[in-house]
Amino acid sequence: MKQNPIYRRETMVSARSFRLALIPMIFNGILALVALLNLYSTLGQVKLTAEIQYSNFMNLYMFVAVLEFVMVVLLMPALTAGSISGERERRTLELMLTTKMTPADIIFGKLAASLSTMVLLIVSSFPVLAMMFIYGGVTVRDMGLLLLCYMVAALLVGSIGICCSAVFKKTMVATVASYGVLGILVLGTCLANQLVLYLQQWGGDAWLVSAGQNGTAADSGHFLYLLLVNPTTTFFLTMLRMAGQEQGGGLFSRLFGNHSLESIHNTWVAGSIVIQLVMAGVFLWMAVRALERKKR
Amino acid sequence: MLKIRNLKKAYGNLHALEGLDMDVTDGALFGFVGPNGAGKTTTIRIMTGLLAPDSGSVEFDGQDVVARPGYLKERIGYVPDYFGVYDNLKVWEYMDFFASCYGLEGLTARKRSLTLLDQVGLGNKADSYVDGLSRGMKQRLCLARALVHDPPVLIMDEPTAGLDPRTRLEFRDTLLELNEQGKTIIISSHALPDLAEICTEVGIIDRGKMILGGSLEEIIGKVQTSKPLTISVFQNMDQAIRILKEHPLVHTMTIKEQEIMIGFTGDTRQECGLLAQLVASGVLVRGFEREAGSLEAVFMQLTRQDEERVVLSYEAESDL
Repeated sequence: MKQNPIYRRETMVSARSFRLALIPMIFNGILALVALLNLYSTLGQVKLTAEIQYSNFMNLYMFVAVLEFVMVVLLMPALTAGSISGERERRTLELMLTTKMTPADIIFGKLAASLSTMVLLIVSSFPVLAMMFIYGGVTVRDMGLLLLCYMVAALLVGSIGICCSAVFKKTMVATVASYGVLGILVLGTCLANQLVLYLQQWGGDAWLVSAGQNGTAADSGHFLYLLLVNPTTTFFLTMLRMAGQEQGGGLFSRLFGNHSLESIHNTWVAGSIVIQLVMAGVFLWMAVRALERKKR
Repeated sequence: MLKIRNLKKAYGNLHALEGLDMDVTDGALFGFVGPNGAGKTTTIRIMTGLLAPDSGSVEFDGQDVVARPGYLKERIGYVPDYFGVYDNLKVWEYMDFFASCYGLEGLTARKRSLTLLDQVGLGNKADSYVDGLSRGMKQRLCLARALVHDPPVLIMDEPTAGLDPRTRLEFRDTLLELNEQGKTIIISSHALPDLAEICTEVGIIDRGKMILGGSLEEIIGKVQTSKPLTISVFQNMDQAIRILKEHPLVHTMTIKEQEIMIGFTGDTRQECGLLAQLVASGVLVRGFEREAGSLEAVFMQLTRQDEERVVLSYEAESDL
């Protein structure tokens, strides 16, 4: 199959760079160190008390998984925000546009190159996560789901970065805009829910009441669905499900109120993944349009 | 081969192109000249598909390239007024990348790249990083890059800007070589003496319109008639003045001692006729010459402000 020239060039240049070896080494080194210290401490406790705290292993798994997710979400904008604007600053974008490469080829080549770097980081850290298999509690299916969460989050955040890079001329502005959009998706939707929840708890106004719940306990009503676009919520819910805390009374409920939406909770992860994939598609389409619009 | 008709482009209130017409024949080395802001780069960007016109048509071999950008991309190579290079690639990798952007892969791409690098004198730099090349070498690399898919038309926007005289001469020789190989070359430049030496056709653009186009000889010939004809008379000045006053092609006359400068709108044959008439009537003529035309002089004359412009009988301004 013919490779996208941009993907091929980007991967070749990054493979040549010392940075590609250094970043996974440092990142996985930190993860492995934390995991091994935790394991050592837990086993030390076993020797002293003859009691195995299996929850410690789950906590370790959660810690490593969360750290990795944070890395995915924070690193992807940095990897992608300069992708198109950098070409523009080097003045190579126009040269590519005079070739047979279409704007879509350029965008997808850039995205694929960024994702491949991220996949390398994610997959290379899975052996640390797989330490959990020593004591059980996490299945291969769970890890597959986790990988899916990472990939969807990377795709969504990467698409945001590339879209901003195509829209804004300067890499600095594109980077700030990417983190801004990400902030709105991650923090903005959470804060909106918290605000609505807060207003509900304190009486709120008539419109907010009509927007959602009719039960006695406070919740954020239909504002909850805003969280479908938030990759952090999807990941969070996946992790809670793995830890067996997905149903009412868990951390999710404490944060977002007493939603009686268990059926929605059951399909939340699948639904949010589909929505986030659609959003990634929209951001990529906007990026392609932004490149085509430069002609006008 | 290339036909542009009534091309218009505006950026907000600024009208960059106002009905530009332009023709470039197959195998021509076309010099595209005009003052800054005349619309050269806008025209080139439209020709290369980087910019969409507001109206008008651009046709390569009868194909409308605005409607069929794919056809255009196969047919043109573009050398802009900047290098556009990836510093972290080796020279052959840079060529290989752009070859793959045109769908050329593997051995074919490699062979083509190395041949072109040899042609532009960078054969021994194939394994060097682009970062380490001089400005002149980078420009030659850009030229090789533009030729990687073997386009019949090469469009260049100020390619020699910022290059030293030796590199400019080498670049000029390479262009001539390419032109001899059958490439049609459209080159925009402010280095008018260089263009005058190599171009077979010239188009002069000003304020978004093509004000004069054709072969260099034609253009210089058309504009030359507006230059004063200086006649140095050794004897019989009064007779000379009387003949010149009565001549229908003489519009202005300035007398300074033994020299008469006349505005004469006739061509070379009519100039010879006038000289013969003067000599036959007993005027002793010591000198008879018109200032030689050059592309630079033509350019300066045509791109003056309106109030200073000499109105010529060329087609583009026939409505004046």
